[in-house]
Amino acid sequence: MTARLHVDLDALVANIAHVRATVSPAELMLVVKDDAYGHGLEPVVLAAAAAGVSWFGAFDVRTGCAVRDAVGDDARIFAWIAASRGDLDAAVAARIDLGIGDAELLEELAEAARAARASVRVHLKIDTGLHRNGVRPEQWPAFVSRAAVLEAEGLIEVAGVWSHIAEASDSEDDDARAVYEWALDQATAAGLRPATRHLAASAASFARPEFRYDMVRVGAFCYGIRSAGGPSADHLGLRPIGRLDADVVEVGEEFVRIDLGALDGLPSSLQRRATVGTPAGTRSLVAVGATDSLVAAWPDAVVGDVVTVYGPGAAGESTATDLAEIIGTIGEEIALRVSPLVERRYTRR
Amino acid sequence: MLTANARTAWDRGIRAYDASILDADAWGHGVELVRDVLATIGLEARTHHVGVTSADSVPVASRTDMLSAIALFGLPGAEHPAVPALRLTGTVLSVKDLREGEGVSYGYAYRASADTRVALVTGGYAQGIVRALGGAVDVAVAGERHPVVGRVAMDVCVVDITDAAVRRGDEVLFLGDPAEGEPSLVEWVRAAGLTAGELVTMVGLRAGREETS
Repeated sequence: MTARLHVDLDALVANIAHVRATVSPAELMLVVKDDAYGHGLEPVVLAAAAAGVSWFGAFDVRTGCAVRDAVGDDARIFAWIAASRGDLDAAVAARIDLGIGDAELLEELAEAARAARASVRVHLKIDTGLHRNGVRPEQWPAFVSRAAVLEAEGLIEVAGVWSHIAEASDSEDDDARAVYEWALDQATAAGLRPATRHLAASAASFARPEFRYDMVRVGAFCYGIRSAGGPSADHLGLRPIGRLDADVVEVGEEFVRIDLGALDGLPSSLQRRATVGTPAGTRSLVAVGATDSLVAAWPDAVVGDVVTVYGPGAAGESTATDLAEIIGTIGEEIALRVSPLVERRYTRR
Repeated sequence: MLTANARTAWDRGIRAYDASILDADAWGHGVELVRDVLATIGLEARTHHVGVTSADSVPVASRTDMLSAIALFGLPGAEHPAVPALRLTGTVLSVKDLREGEGVSYGYAYRASADTRVALVTGGYAQGIVRALGGAVDVAVAGERHPVVGRVAMDVCVVDITDAAVRRGDEVLFLGDPAEGEPSLVEWVRAAGLTAGELVTMVGLRAGREETS
């Protein structure tokens, strides 16, 4: 397989600068879960840290520990999934800030902190309507009271209160924010002083200033992935950092063959519906096979020509989100389906 | 299961396998493991070239004189019944109440029609549990089926467990053996409009892998 994902670290750094300028004075937490959305954890984290990013969102403890290994002691690393006591112990040892949205989990964490003779920074999660993790409002007053007791015992330090919003509609998000405000008041009443309040992810961090609070958690926009159905990357002032290329390996009269297929992460449902970039501009993606695909030919096509499946658009290609919209999904899923076996190549000035 | 499926082919007189079985880390099953199994049974690799002149999608080997990926990995559409070689499980992270009318996950694509309970489960589209499965397929916990509700997120999804005794830490079966009534790729293919091959490969490449015998 000759296919490779080019990752433009200059574009990443430019996107980060633009996001920070947009959300200021709120801070940016760069979300790097799932191998930095498939772009490669370590190069992304190192470039971001060099650009001044001091908060990283890791999702799980394993990723959090990998970020700690990459950036060293100074960065704040936030993980919000701990599936086991072993995860909690590892998080405590790596000084990871933990998102806690479950009363039972808070007790497990307190035990882990007691065993490690450590004080663990936690961000308490209120469920503002998404109904994934997060404590339901009716259980929140008891939850924050219990957290205040554990803080007084020195086992935890409540560093933040946070939530996820559904981005279903502005009015429903407003309702969610009202619940969030109420939860902050309750935390204050319980004697907690969370320094970092965070609610918004990519879309709301740009479109809804009142959702920014002290920090926003942004992944997609830093990678230049716009929201499906949302404004273009250009309009947002962002540039896609990933470009998926494959070589032409065979030339026929009507079609050329590239060696990238469905088993490499190109959804077969794009066949006959998507276009790709070629040396002659935009061409139709005619067929997607298991490990190779056919593209409508162009005059003078030769073996070794480069076809760009998605990217910033220089060869007439679609963006990841353009492809996603054709098959009813989001750009993040297109980026994350690119097989880990596809080589990542990094460019930096 | 790999070994059993390969042996079944041998017993039917097949002596070669389609070399494309080894593509993409053996379709996410682990190329070293798969090569070992095939060598132990005594099957030999054979390649076959598909031309550039046809606009049909490149067919997965359908020749009867060699073992295909579908038959070896036990994917839907195998001519002779084969057991899936890959099982995909997740873990319950938390369980909570959901009241009538409340939505679940991004866009509130699902709303509870009555008071119920939901479990947050590890596994999302970054692990190959494609977004199109939200609201379309079941998982199984302790042998009982429950629907995935709302949008599948990058790393988690939500399952409606009603009154089942499901707890944090429980194992959740995403993909098992359809012959045993377990959730399987048959439902995934229908819901996602993708091939069984690409679905199973991405699961195998992205999720943590454990060998069983």
